[in-house]
Amino acid sequence: MTEPIKRPFLFRRHLNKLRWLSLGLVFAMLVVLPFLSVYQTYVAAHAYDLLPPSDKKLYDIMETLSSPFVDDPATDLDAIKGTTWSGTFFGYKISDPLAVVGQTAAGLTVYWPFVLSALVPVLLTLALGRFFCGWICPATFLYELNTNLAAWLRKAGFRLGHLHFDRRLKYLVLALGVVLSAVTGSVLVAAIYPPAIIGREIYYAVALGGFGAGAVFFVMTLLFDLLVAQRGFCRYLCPGGALYSLLGRYRPLRIRRVVEDCNDCVKCNAVCEFGLDPMRDDFGQECNNCSACIAVCPTDALVFTIHIKDLPDQGAGHLGRHYRKVHEAEALRQETG
Amino acid sequence: MRRRVFLQELIVAAGLLACGAAAAGPARPSVGLRFLRPPGAQAEEAFLARCIRCGQCGEACPNRCIKFFSTQNGLASINTPYILPREQACILCMKCGQVCPTGALRPIEHEAGTIMTQVHMGKARVDERLCLSYQGKTCGVCYRACPLQDVAIRVGRLEQPHVLAACVGCGLCERSCIQIPQAIRIIPNRAG
Repeated sequence: MTEPIKRPFLFRRHLNKLRWLSLGLVFAMLVVLPFLSVYQTYVAAHAYDLLPPSDKKLYDIMETLSSPFVDDPATDLDAIKGTTWSGTFFGYKISDPLAVVGQTAAGLTVYWPFVLSALVPVLLTLALGRFFCGWICPATFLYELNTNLAAWLRKAGFRLGHLHFDRRLKYLVLALGVVLSAVTGSVLVAAIYPPAIIGREIYYAVALGGFGAGAVFFVMTLLFDLLVAQRGFCRYLCPGGALYSLLGRYRPLRIRRVVEDCNDCVKCNAVCEFGLDPMRDDFGQECNNCSACIAVCPTDALVFTIHIKDLPDQGAGHLGRHYRKVHEAEALRQETG
Repeated sequence: MRRRVFLQELIVAAGLLACGAAAAGPARPSVGLRFLRPPGAQAEEAFLARCIRCGQCGEACPNRCIKFFSTQNGLASINTPYILPREQACILCMKCGQVCPTGALRPIEHEAGTIMTQVHMGKARVDERLCLSYQGKTCGVCYRACPLQDVAIRVGRLEQPHVLAACVGCGLCERSCIQIPQAIRIIPNRAG
């Protein structure tokens, strides 16, 4: 057993901002890539003189953006293609583990080149847990903004629902998705997995001139999160989240509470997007190591550690009022009696 | 109470999924919609099982001919790629097969011999009642648009087109036909 990493480690309070930077960058990539793809087609067609003014502007912007990095846009920009669902990155194909699971179920055959494309994400998830959900997922970017919107609406006096369901519901969704994919012989999970939908729909909107059916589904999940259950889709329904949770069950990198430094302020619980209970040492396989609780903790009682299991409930924090009252009474009793 | 709500939701969710599955069904033949799958596609059923709907084929296509289904062709083929050759035809660059991660579109070398043996998107068919050349007005546009001239299509008297066995069905002839409606069409081949 290793000791918790001694605080204060550098940037611990800024990790959450770094996470936002990561989410923002991924989302920005998903927006820029379709434009670059369109630009590529214009270059390939030598079409600049024939373009309408708005497309000329797009051409110019994309040329400015990409010209420092590529010599021949028509071929060199092929280096980065696709979305977080499945993409090509300088010759390497990287796919979402859920894509591999869904596709293998639908085809009932194993296509190794494709399975191997999920190797890096799977290994990272085994080590870091559900980090994809917190640090990369383009849907998380919008869902967390949606959470902020909900907070503002609440402040403005709207009554929004915050129902709680069973978190294990999403494993049922995953199982159903896999079974139905196998039965129908069609990768159905792709149609209900928000990051896959987002990547696709942005491409449709940019390159094909309109959102598809998936956009409707995604807006419905946004409304579900806003009006019914906070962050409900990720917590209770997301099949990809379920798969990542299962893979990250024994992740070595996990957040722990240093009970001596905890003052029971409950800020960590309030800020946890996944409705977990850091103050009672309940992280479990759901925690996505997003570090929002670390950033908000006023006494730096939450730290990253290298362990494969959570601690059992350590009880009240030693800086908290309840713990101090009990212990001061104890000390007093020992002095007097 | 919470348990009852939960059960109700479970039933509704199961019902919705069952409807979805029923609507998706086995890969059904499309009725009325004449589309091509991108070059190198597996047979339709295997294609639907393989395609993960990532959209990379469309993103890689330099000719922007690859479109994506919404619900027009049934739920089973939602978000899968297709080509309407009259709107934009395939230029057989084979980039889509290279980016496809699952082999739903097989990677095929960009070389005429390989393309002719491995690509089977469909086959062109000439409607002689519509074709200008068959009406005595020399045209030959489809022949000139074909990337496999004299191998996939040859012209006879008055540039009357004759489609040969090597036609892969890229659709460039249909795209270029100056008749409205087009006198040459691709009959899709879904057998892979």
